[in-house]
Amino acid sequence: MLRRRRIAALLFLTPWLIGVTVFFLYPLGMTVYLSFTRYSMLDQPELVGFRNYEYLFTKDPYLLQAIRNTGWFIAIMVPAQVLFALGAAQVLTKLKSGAGFFRTLFYLPSLAPPVAATIAFVFLFNPATGPVNQALGFFGIKGPLWFTDPAWAKPGLVLLALWGSGNLIIILLAALLDVPKELYEAAALDGASGTQSFRHVTLPSISPVLLFAVVTGMIGAIQYFTQAVVAGSVASGSADITPSAQLPGPPEGSTLTLPYWLFVQGFQRYNMGYASALAVVIFVISLAFTVVLLRRKSGFAQVTS
Amino acid sequence: MKSLAAVAAALLVCAGCVPSVGGQEPGDPQVITLWHPLKDPNEVKAVRAALDRFEAAHPGITVKAVPAQDADKVTQAIRGGKPPDAALSFNASSVGAWCATGAFQDLGPWIQRDKVDLQQIPAAVRSYTEFEGKRCVMPLLADTYALYYNKKLLAAAGYSKPPKTISELTAMTKRLTKFSADGTIEVAGFVPYLGTYHSGADLFAAAFGATWLQPDGSANFADDPAFQEMLQWQKSLVDWFGVEKLALFKAGLADEFSSQHAFNTGKIAMMLDGEWRTSFLTNDEAPVDYGTAAVPVADNKPGLYGAGLIGGNIIGVPRGAANPEGGWELVRFLSTDTEALVHFADAMHNVPTTLPALNSPRLDLSREPEFAPFLAAFRHPRSTSQPATSDGGAYLAQFGQFADKWQQGKVPDLAAGLRTLDRQNDDALRLGS
Amino acid sequence: MNAKLHWVATHCVAIAIAAAFIMPLIFIGLTAVMPDEQALTPDLWPKSWEWGNLATVFRTAPLSRWLLNTVIYAVLATIFTLVSAVPTAYALARYKLRGTNIAFLLVVAMMLLPPQVLVVPMYLIWASLGLTGSIWPLVIPLLLGDAFSIFLLRQFLLTIPEDYADAARIDGCGELRVLLRVVLPMMKPALAAVGLFTFFYAWNDYYGPLIYLSEMPDQWTLSIGLASFKSVHSVQWNLTMAATVIVMAPLIILFFFAQKAFIEGVTLTGVKG
Repeated sequence: MLRRRRIAALLFLTPWLIGVTVFFLYPLGMTVYLSFTRYSMLDQPELVGFRNYEYLFTKDPYLLQAIRNTGWFIAIMVPAQVLFALGAAQVLTKLKSGAGFFRTLFYLPSLAPPVAATIAFVFLFNPATGPVNQALGFFGIKGPLWFTDPAWAKPGLVLLALWGSGNLIIILLAALLDVPKELYEAAALDGASGTQSFRHVTLPSISPVLLFAVVTGMIGAIQYFTQAVVAGSVASGSADITPSAQLPGPPEGSTLTLPYWLFVQGFQRYNMGYASALAVVIFVISLAFTVVLLRRKSGFAQVTS
Repeated sequence: MKSLAAVAAALLVCAGCVPSVGGQEPGDPQVITLWHPLKDPNEVKAVRAALDRFEAAHPGITVKAVPAQDADKVTQAIRGGKPPDAALSFNASSVGAWCATGAFQDLGPWIQRDKVDLQQIPAAVRSYTEFEGKRCVMPLLADTYALYYNKKLLAAAGYSKPPKTISELTAMTKRLTKFSADGTIEVAGFVPYLGTYHSGADLFAAAFGATWLQPDGSANFADDPAFQEMLQWQKSLVDWFGVEKLALFKAGLADEFSSQHAFNTGKIAMMLDGEWRTSFLTNDEAPVDYGTAAVPVADNKPGLYGAGLIGGNIIGVPRGAANPEGGWELVRFLSTDTEALVHFADAMHNVPTTLPALNSPRLDLSREPEFAPFLAAFRHPRSTSQPATSDGGAYLAQFGQFADKWQQGKVPDLAAGLRTLDRQNDDALRLGS
Repeated sequence: MNAKLHWVATHCVAIAIAAAFIMPLIFIGLTAVMPDEQALTPDLWPKSWEWGNLATVFRTAPLSRWLLNTVIYAVLATIFTLVSAVPTAYALARYKLRGTNIAFLLVVAMMLLPPQVLVVPMYLIWASLGLTGSIWPLVIPLLLGDAFSIFLLRQFLLTIPEDYADAARIDGCGELRVLLRVVLPMMKPALAAVGLFTFFYAWNDYYGPLIYLSEMPDQWTLSIGLASFKSVHSVQWNLTMAATVIVMAPLIILFFFAQKAFIEGVTLTGVKG
């Protein structure tokens, strides 16, 4: 019986084991190998020692900016999105009527595909003609230049992320509704105020879900690519979405993320070797996050065990 | 489990039979695929007409043209192993990358075999289609640039002639520009803000006679004072408008290739643009009475007046083409057949790239007054093209980004900034070689 | 009195958020039916209603081709993911053997790994097989197991009691039959969630098509087509917004038909994940 089950387990796992080998372990090794080569894909890879890494650490004029931008998205966009979604979900729980209707409205924008949503946002936030700055002007506020100003491009992208946070709102709403009513009643009997019961009842109950939201948000932020690329290039008015004749991440590299810099080096300039060195950097960063998150006693390690 | 594996195997086998644009069946030499970056309906039509002429001259062969395929996509297809048989590109600056890496096939043997006379191509054009002695592309029409001006707006401001020098351009810009009550720009005399249509560092640098590279191929930004002169002028005019006002103005402009182009609607009085704009102005039935003149040049280099930047379109046979012979035949025909070139140039409103076509009495363009400055610039001995580098002219993008920072007022020390730029550029060039 | 005030306050906040969520969609819709010369002006209400814009987009761009490609990609991705993730997740959840723990850790690691880390060698693999420029590099990996789906299904399986399966085994069912006949029907909500997620992922995917399909316009999906729309089909913002509306519409329609499954699926990923 046990033997039969063992064979069955192995059979069930076979396709996945092939997948792990071909699409994970092998390419991971290849990435490391290629990071020590010069490779244009037109001739054979040529080993160049640490030259790519030397350029990466001492000469690359854009790497630092890309790391800073990606770090900004992790540090600011993720918390903003989680807090906003938590607030919106909290409002939904308080509604006595029309909760389903509002839930639908909150969720609807998250259905917009990222490319479509980003193009639309750049249009709506057009500083000269868009409705957003017109509305601000109505209140006597002079709107910023948004996606054409390096200081405002990233905040604009955060607003885009908030707009599309419907999934997160639904998840947090479910978590909030799962908190046992008795706990609130007990807290109320003890004379706890609204904020106190939120801190001592709500937060501990939903913390695994909250952590899950932060983790998935961070994974998304490390990979952040589509919205940054589309917003930057549409706003700059360039004809192509990924123009190689222009340096990436307009305005002034403020939307240049690590994955985008890798794309430019690997798939526009065909410095496959250097792109692999950048991949190793991304790998190390994501590995650091993973280790920290998996080692924490609470939350993710708990959820996954 | 077995059935799953079978499905997977079947799919993998089937993957080979997915239809694709680039490749073709080996047993079918009668089809030639051509990729080109053009997308305007009128231009696509012009390409088709040229290909029809080719097909008429080569019975039994058909050419399949795929529009809107820029140089990046061609490069990607070559690496992926499914390139077209012939590819046209706007970027003569890619020649270096394409020839040095072998992405495009060496045309030398074919040229010798078919006894193609290269002397019919003007020397300047010959030089930008070669890289380190190797010819892997042929020129197919060229772009030159001129100043477009709105006659009515100029007359209303009391001008009867377009500017010839940078200081004239500056003075006229200031008089032609109108601000509305809230301070926003209503009409811009000339937009110095980089990235607004063709207001670019490349054209401005040409107007100041700047030399991009040193003889050894390294960047020349710090050593040629023309770059600093150009940037100083550009920034002072930007500051006169106010950089934020220009950014706002630019954000509200319709796309370069739409009929709502700001020159068409009278929001811009003067601009630099390529010769193809004449055709767009006609096709869009733009309600603007315009003239063209040579690009204004730096006051200390009057000899440059009439000359300018020549940007070439190039056509070649990618490595790995399924039908390279067919590809070459198409390249040869389009780039050297006088009749074909004359018709194509007329239809595209581009400058033809062989002497017989340029001097042909049948070239309608030579009779259009608006087109004269473009043909003159093409013939001018001091006109230049952007030199090719093995990284595909990355120095242009580097400089463009730097100039953008500069116009935002974020480069405190111009000379030091340019020196850093030189070094960064040379470092990046070495990374890929 | 206090309760009434509270009611008004929360509803006001809800309406404000809802307005912020919905206004962009409304402006996109309005711009989509504006005449050409109005699209980039501060005038937001259409001077004339150009419903023809929605049809014009289909004429000026191969939207129907992109739509078809996107549907093919999304459907294949969904089927492949489900077919491969179910047995893997089942094995990881149900068979406590040496190695399954390590395997599960691998799943988590793969789930957290940004795809960009592997994109260069993956591209080289597909190029050497001559498959770049086709949809296969995007879907074949899913046939061999998608980490996130495996993870989600395994978590769900852990909440299903083993008793039924054991009963079936005593009745003489083989392992495959146990999975197909007993376990699979109980996994329906999780399968729906994974299916929806994969479908959405593929429908929205931009990075994959950009890497593998960008030089083959015949193979473009809606995402990459829309991203290139402005450059390829120069230019009018009203038409760009019309295309945007058309790209969004199928998902919104799908949502209204399957709202319950959507909400349940999304909830499931949060709670079980």
